Amino acid sequence: MILDLLNRKKIAIALGLLFIAVYPVIHGDTYIMHIFVLFFIWALVASNWNLLMGYAGIFSLGNIGYFSIGGYVSGILCKTFGWSPWLCIFLGGVASMALVTLFVGLPALRLSGIYIALLSLIFADSLPTILTQTRSITGGAMGLHDIPPLFDGITRTHSYYITFVVFLVILAIIHKTINSSTGLAFIALRDSKDFAAALGVNEYKEKIKVFALVSFLTGITGGFYVHYLGDISPTTMGIEPFLLTIAMMELGGVGRFPGAVVGAVFIVFGNEFLRLAGTLRLSLLGALICAIILFFPGGLMQFIDWIDTRISRFKTDKTPSPGI
Amino acid sequence: MSGLISGSLYATMALGLTIIYGVIHLFNFGHGIVAVLGGYFTWLLLTNAHLGLIPSIFIALVIMFFLGLILFKAAISPLLKTPTWEFSTIIFLLGLGILLENLILQAFGPRVKQIPQFFEGGLKIGFLRVNWHEISLILIVFIFIVLLNYLLKKTWFGQAMRAVAQDMEGAKIVGINIDRTFRQAFALATAVTGFSGILLATKYYMTPHIGWLWMFTGFVIVVLGGLGSAMGAIYAAFMLGITEAFITLYLGSLWVWPIWFIMFVVILLLRPQGLAGGRTL
Repeated sequence: MILDLLNRKKIAIALGLLFIAVYPVIHGDTYIMHIFVLFFIWALVASNWNLLMGYAGIFSLGNIGYFSIGGYVSGILCKTFGWSPWLCIFLGGVASMALVTLFVGLPALRLSGIYIALLSLIFADSLPTILTQTRSITGGAMGLHDIPPLFDGITRTHSYYITFVVFLVILAIIHKTINSSTGLAFIALRDSKDFAAALGVNEYKEKIKVFALVSFLTGITGGFYVHYLGDISPTTMGIEPFLLTIAMMELGGVGRFPGAVVGAVFIVFGNEFLRLAGTLRLSLLGALICAIILFFPGGLMQFIDWIDTRISRFKTDKTPSPGI
Repeated sequence: MSGLISGSLYATMALGLTIIYGVIHLFNFGHGIVAVLGGYFTWLLLTNAHLGLIPSIFIALVIMFFLGLILFKAAISPLLKTPTWEFSTIIFLLGLGILLENLILQAFGPRVKQIPQFFEGGLKIGFLRVNWHEISLILIVFIFIVLLNYLLKKTWFGQAMRAVAQDMEGAKIVGINIDRTFRQAFALATAVTGFSGILLATKYYMTPHIGWLWMFTGFVIVVLGGLGSAMGAIYAAFMLGITEAFITLYLGSLWVWPIWFIMFVVILLLRPQGLAGGRTL
């Protein structure tokens, strides 16, 4: 029985990825493809956030800000200097890494818990005012428009596959990090700081590392987002993307690896359906977040585990035991 | 002068956050929406029930107090019992904030609402112009702080709260009902926050979205003052109010946030316990 040998979850993931890979060929509706691209991007933001919050236990609330720094820097460089978008996306990631590590990561070394949350939140919140203040470069409240796409004559299918590959690569990096010694160090620090320090984990080094990594990856994602959509404005840093990403992470299960991706599937597609509900959409989103936390603290990953154990138990019940 | 006024308004706002943090050690991310709710209740009573200003403020505060009780009973107290309460309460209150904000938007529309001023007119001293309303605001805040201080220091209810804030185990030993004290503190803080929302709405204006801005201002203040320290929050509120006035005068109001961020970082690095750190309530 090959199905029993392979892990059921792995099969499900493989089938899902296969479906995403062949979707443009078999059906290829441009609107659905657009939503898929958004799904790839937001799933990455949520997964990075999950790495910072769920694994490293650093309570950061400014990830949308890191995302926007990457997007803005990449867009500005590409538009004003006409450099290659690929280089600009990389530089955007570097800029996001530098700024975040300097302004949030380094102060965060001396702080803990709620103070880091407040610091990152206020950091992200002071960005829109800086943007509106420097109108000549960033376009002010109107935002930045006509950012060149990744290459000339790009089609929706091209962007679909490019973001899909980026999605896989960054998720692989996150997966690798979680399972490497760095990831173990994060988890050890999260669960018991003193014990981890006693075993020789350097808290400062690991904290800086995770901040640098997460902000770099989030910044790169921001770059791809900007070059895909072609414009960005301070609204990107508003309350809505922030809550959507938190909802993705929370719905999927905090501190579980593919959790944020699973949450993103539901939130991104659910959000599009909820456009039918008009202005009530955000209220429903808020209600959803409250309900998950009150009644479903483990998120969808816990639900999947529960189904998995149920199926396993069902199977073992059916196989006759050799004794009888 | 304008710094003093906004400082006194910020002080009432920060007191609500401080009471909750000091007693429950919970950071209230639903602070903004609570303040906005207070303002909207007053506005609703004023325009729809045609009550006077003072009765409607009073009734709104009573409503806020009971809302706080219900919210704590229904959601916060079960969440506090979970191991990850610190994270889950924050996300819960954020979710609740966006839910209520959009419900208010749905019910009353995005138009700017204002609560009428307490007193019309003003007086002129040289080049300085002062409204009676603004002077009355400073006086009201001063009386309010004195009253709250009395409540916390002299009544049994307040003393129980301070005992829990200082030493939870000790308070338990001398027979203070922790759960009830938490509930009362949360309800009291909700009412105080609602009151700050009302005052802010009389001075400035009110939309469903303004709560987030008020909340972030409140966060900066309580961190500057030291989390959970009431006196520190009041000092910090006046300090920030006055710096805000100076920045607005010389650089323009858009620079307020970046400069506050820098102040915030510097204070956190030099004195993570805040200006008046260490003391509770």
